[in-house]
Amino acid sequence: MIPQNILYIAIILIILYLAGITFAYWFFLRSKRNIEMKESEVKHRMYELAILKEIADRTGYSLNIQKILDVIAGSLNQFLEYDVAAYMLLNPDKIIFKSDLQHSVSPQFIKEVRGRMLKSLAAILGRDLTNVSVEETITGALMLEATDEPVRSYFNIPLVIGDQLVGVLTIAHRKEGFYKEEEMSILYKIVSQASQAVTKLEETVKTEQRKTAAMIESMIEGVVMTDRDYRILAANAAARNAIGYEGTELPTIFDFITGLNGAFDIKEKLEESIKLDKPLTFKNVMLRGKYYEVLISPVKSDVGVIKNQILGGVVVLHDITHEKEAEKMRDDFTSMIVHELRSPLGNIKKIGEMMKSTKVLENKQMSSEYVAMLSESSSSMLTLLNDLLDAAKISAGKFTVEKKESNLKELLLGRVKFFDTTARDGKIELSLSFEASAPTTASFDPVRIIQVVNNLLTNALNFTPPGGKVAVECFLHKKGSTIDQEATKLQLPWIASREDSSTGMLDDCLVIAVTDSGEGIAPENFGKLFNKFTQFVGAARENKHKGTGLGLVIAKGIVEAHGGTIRVGSIVGKGTTVYVTINL
Amino acid sequence: MDQNEQYKSIMSEIIGKQIIILGPNVAVMRARKVPNLVINDDGTVASITGDPSEAMGKLIDSYVELSGQIVKNTLGSIFTKYPEIKQAS
Repeated sequence: MIPQNILYIAIILIILYLAGITFAYWFFLRSKRNIEMKESEVKHRMYELAILKEIADRTGYSLNIQKILDVIAGSLNQFLEYDVAAYMLLNPDKIIFKSDLQHSVSPQFIKEVRGRMLKSLAAILGRDLTNVSVEETITGALMLEATDEPVRSYFNIPLVIGDQLVGVLTIAHRKEGFYKEEEMSILYKIVSQASQAVTKLEETVKTEQRKTAAMIESMIEGVVMTDRDYRILAANAAARNAIGYEGTELPTIFDFITGLNGAFDIKEKLEESIKLDKPLTFKNVMLRGKYYEVLISPVKSDVGVIKNQILGGVVVLHDITHEKEAEKMRDDFTSMIVHELRSPLGNIKKIGEMMKSTKVLENKQMSSEYVAMLSESSSSMLTLLNDLLDAAKISAGKFTVEKKESNLKELLLGRVKFFDTTARDGKIELSLSFEASAPTTASFDPVRIIQVVNNLLTNALNFTPPGGKVAVECFLHKKGSTIDQEATKLQLPWIASREDSSTGMLDDCLVIAVTDSGEGIAPENFGKLFNKFTQFVGAARENKHKGTGLGLVIAKGIVEAHGGTIRVGSIVGKGTTVYVTINL
Repeated sequence: MDQNEQYKSIMSEIIGKQIIILGPNVAVMRARKVPNLVINDDGTVASITGDPSEAMGKLIDSYVELSGQIVKNTLGSIFTKYPEIKQAS
């Protein structure tokens, strides 16, 4: 018989032994489970890292979300079993639906997956997508009518770039409750990380695009950039103005087609340029009253695997309206010079032919008249050529004057006397007023100042009708008061210049002015007065007094070469004052 | 309808919407992780214990954690039906 206390001890030992074994087994199971969980975690983590690396390697995290999805879908089978892995991508005009079959399923199964994906997108977007066209691609295992099993397990992962929904990724299986939370969470995480990477990349690209857009916007030339499908990527203010587009949104290619109003087929020319792979230039394209030179060029990538690939097109609208106007001015000027030369040359030719006749040569009076006419015609040509030469020197900045102490009062008296006959012939009252306090002498080039006064008086007499008045005035300007104020104080006939307010700053100088009571100059013609190519059309000039129009250009050049200034004041129907200053 | 019922109803609708967006497996699974909520297999809320407002916030956060802010943006139409219940920003 075993003593009772030993029996108790034995029982306790047995219990302790069993408890130890149980604990050891439990500990073993727990450790095993932990190891399995760790292994699974590591496996998932490895997969997560591997797939993210693969995305980075294969797409460089490009902005093409479809490429990224192809990588994800293509590697899913490494960690997840599925019947169908599919994605849908929202495009402006369609939805791209691509599904990969790991096992054969029925067409109905695909239809069901597609329907659920469309519902998911519609629920997020808050709009119906039933009428949107779906472009479907199926890869992987064959579809079999026989495998008529429905979708029993699936989950959707919305694809978001920035704040915009771009599509949905769906994993589906025919078995009920097939996917565990852990597997689904990992896939959500991978897609989320890829989306975040693309979002960051897109933000960087957008920042760069904004910088480029700001640069394009500030360009004087109209610039339009399109992608390969002729969608407008950028159109600066000059381009928008060229087509009269007033919207706040980026204009579309259709806005350009409408705005160009048949003057230029932008889409066709872009297609042509891209097809020929060379820039095209179109001159003299008239848009809304302006002339443009239009340059169209394909845009190519110059980096990476897509080097030399055409990315789109660029249209540059160069406004050549001013160039065309300048060209016309030059042509008009040349025509005018030719016309002015042809007349005296024609006369010389005719006189020469007549003087061949012995009858004329024997008649002294007739010969003398013809010689005088020859002299007049050649003088006229010489004057014109001298004017042209002076204007050319002034333009080239090579015009010089020879200043010497000269008597201005005598010079002006001489000029008034010279033009007195012309004035009387035109029934015009010509007068001279020389202020008593003004110095009679100053340092200037008398030959050139005579030329200036001649030009001013010729213009004044040409543009003053019979019965009118032309006054030559000379007075002293003192720094601090304006020339207009001084002329008014002296009670001179005077039309104030718009720029007179600034004359208060001029140092003491002599003012020579010619004021007429003629037709005056319209404000829009003021800008043409000192342009050698622009002879504005005045009634008097048009009908009676055609000329080179170089008079004021040369006068300005002479006065400025003396360090002085020339100003014009005029009121249509009342008259004109042109004055020049000569420094003391 | 008392407030608790309103919360049950709105949360059921939120889960229902997520069932369409994410699929029933994920949507119900995520809802079941929210403390103080008992969720039926069809995604309806069977019962709420504790603060229903807090539970609703956690339910929405759970979906946002999974698939981002865009999911939250889809809930506006549901909240307009329950003017007494404010959506946590």
